[in-house]
Amino acid sequence: MASVAESEFPLASRRRRRFTRQRLGRALAPYALLAPAATAIGVILGYPLYLLVKMSFEKYGLFELIRHKGRWIGLANYTHILHDAEFWRVLARTVVFTAVTVTLTMVLGTAVALLLLQVSRWLRVAITTGLVLVWSVPVIVAVDIWRWMVDYEFGVANWTLTKLHIGNFIRHDWFANPWTGFGVITALIVWGAIPFITITVYAGLAQVPQELLEAAAIDGARPWAVFREVTLPLLMPIFVILTSLSIIWDFQVFQQIWVMLDFRPTNDYYTMAIYAFHQSFQISEYGLGAAIAVVMVLFMFGATLVYLRQMLRTGEVQ
Amino acid sequence: MKARFLVAAVLAAMLAVAATTASGGTSKGQADKIVVWLMVDAQSGWPEAVATANRNFKAQHPGVDVDVQYQSWGNHLQKLDAGLAGGDAPDVIELGNSEMTKYMAAGAFKTLTQSAFPNNKTWLKGLKTSCQYNGKLYGVPYYAGARAVIYRKDQYKGAGIKSTPKSLAQFIADGKKLMKKYGKDSGYSAVYFPGKYWYAAMSFVYDYGGQIAVRTGGKWKGTLNSPQAIAALNQVNVIAKTLTKASRTTDEANPQQSLVFSKGKVGSFIGNGWEWPYALDEKLGNPSLANVVGAYPMPSHTPGKFMPSFLGGSRRSRAAPRRARSRKRATSPTRRHSSPTTPRTRSWRRSHEPRSTAGSSPRAPTGRTWRMQTCCKTCSSRSSPVAHR
Repeated sequence: MASVAESEFPLASRRRRRFTRQRLGRALAPYALLAPAATAIGVILGYPLYLLVKMSFEKYGLFELIRHKGRWIGLANYTHILHDAEFWRVLARTVVFTAVTVTLTMVLGTAVALLLLQVSRWLRVAITTGLVLVWSVPVIVAVDIWRWMVDYEFGVANWTLTKLHIGNFIRHDWFANPWTGFGVITALIVWGAIPFITITVYAGLAQVPQELLEAAAIDGARPWAVFREVTLPLLMPIFVILTSLSIIWDFQVFQQIWVMLDFRPTNDYYTMAIYAFHQSFQISEYGLGAAIAVVMVLFMFGATLVYLRQMLRTGEVQ
Repeated sequence: MKARFLVAAVLAAMLAVAATTASGGTSKGQADKIVVWLMVDAQSGWPEAVATANRNFKAQHPGVDVDVQYQSWGNHLQKLDAGLAGGDAPDVIELGNSEMTKYMAAGAFKTLTQSAFPNNKTWLKGLKTSCQYNGKLYGVPYYAGARAVIYRKDQYKGAGIKSTPKSLAQFIADGKKLMKKYGKDSGYSAVYFPGKYWYAAMSFVYDYGGQIAVRTGGKWKGTLNSPQAIAALNQVNVIAKTLTKASRTTDEANPQQSLVFSKGKVGSFIGNGWEWPYALDEKLGNPSLANVVGAYPMPSHTPGKFMPSFLGGSRRSRAAPRRARSRKRATSPTRRHSSPTTPRTRSWRRSHEPRSTAGSSPRAPTGRTWRMQTCCKTCSSRSSPVAHR
């Protein structure tokens, strides 16, 4: 091709010019295609984020809100938060809560996915239908249903536990003690999150080559060893993505607690999201609220980083 | 019924004041519309009063439209904050009496002149105070109700209680009698008192001479740990432990305490005037209780006196969004307009006057007063039955 191009010079020059234009177009095309999305994200996400960060460096209460102008106070909001014992309690509570819910969600979700492989076809359909139904219940509706179930006076949970002679649960108040209260909230969130985990893991399990599993079994590996040595490594990318997504979701949980406790949870039930909302919208300290939100974003950025790296790595393999 | 006319007069007066300065979203100096935020209570309770006020306003200010937008107690402050931040706040807004102060302190409202309003001599003191900040007036009383004990006359009689209690000790002793008589049913409460019902609990604190907070040297300091407040809250604790089966983690609105009362397993509850008819509501409550329900003021720990009542009230304010405004409209037609309602107002005032000094010498509410109060729903309890959030 090169020698032909050299001998027929005029034609080659024209061709080269065309190539350049084509190449330029081809190089710019992705950016042009990305531009609308990037602009939209910049406007919808970037600008508010900029305002949030700016506000976190300002004294911004109701007084400033009305005048549309905060007063720059540097890091004062952040030092206030970091010296506030309440903030550390809320942070610790949120981290523990996230760890427990994510662990439970992942373990139970995977267990149900493994179960789906073993059961008969109609049972699999039944379980999957149930999972999809759970998934399709809007959050607020789900919270209200759970709230009825653990109702102080008429809840089916208290009735069942009493009937089973587990104890006297008549007029038992699940939310009087924050530990049992968070137990109910954790159960609700894990219940709501399992379908997504199960269905995704199940899809991944279907991709594990049967002959690998058979080979392991022939070599004398027990089921648990097969799972740990063959299935788990193969599904690792999926697990990493699911775990980081779950961390992001559970760390910022808001509606479930908010609605479950009648829109006025006591500070025993504050997680980061509720704490930020309380500072901003209930006591009108928008600057402090913004600072808490920024800290929260930074925390979740850690989880997102792992998620992004895994996504990029998966992309490279493909 | 009569109170509704007064409500209409207040609405009309407030609209007129709004029109004097409203910019209606334009900076032309000519308002073509004023935006009014009312709570849903007006929509369901006294829509005709709102309509009358709007009609009168439009007659006096041709070409100016009144845009009434109904809000719910659960989120109206968040919406207001968003409106203030965006420079798009309403021209007139209704706020609960416990919501007012922080907005006055932040300068959200224009100052008002009391003499520009009809019936300004008869304003309820408790409500007027909540409209003032640093001696300036920012709002106009709209409606209010004081809390009292709403009780089952038949059950009191059944438990051998001859007359309504005249001291807190007697109130608790009577409660114990009720528990003895009816407490075999494990769901029975002599006094339905949910754990987060702070409107009622604070009456105890103020009765014992305690306060929520005091201001010293320009700074507020919480004083719920004072000996007086602790003594008072210990009495609340006695009620919570011995006289009620209500949940300790819910409030008076979830579930609606008047509806719990209507189910029959409650001897009494501390409620606002409007909660009485709600308990008798045909659909949600129990109309057959009509003849056995009574009310008396909550007795003080000092025998013979009454507890100060946490006033559930509402006022309307002229929001002051920082925008250009130059419109001047005559205020005199306002006064003229409202004068026909004055005779009616007087009767309203007579029946409500005991409330105005509820702290020192309240009178037992008469049946008439209570009926009147059915349209004077409370605001600060956030308990509009249909809409929270």
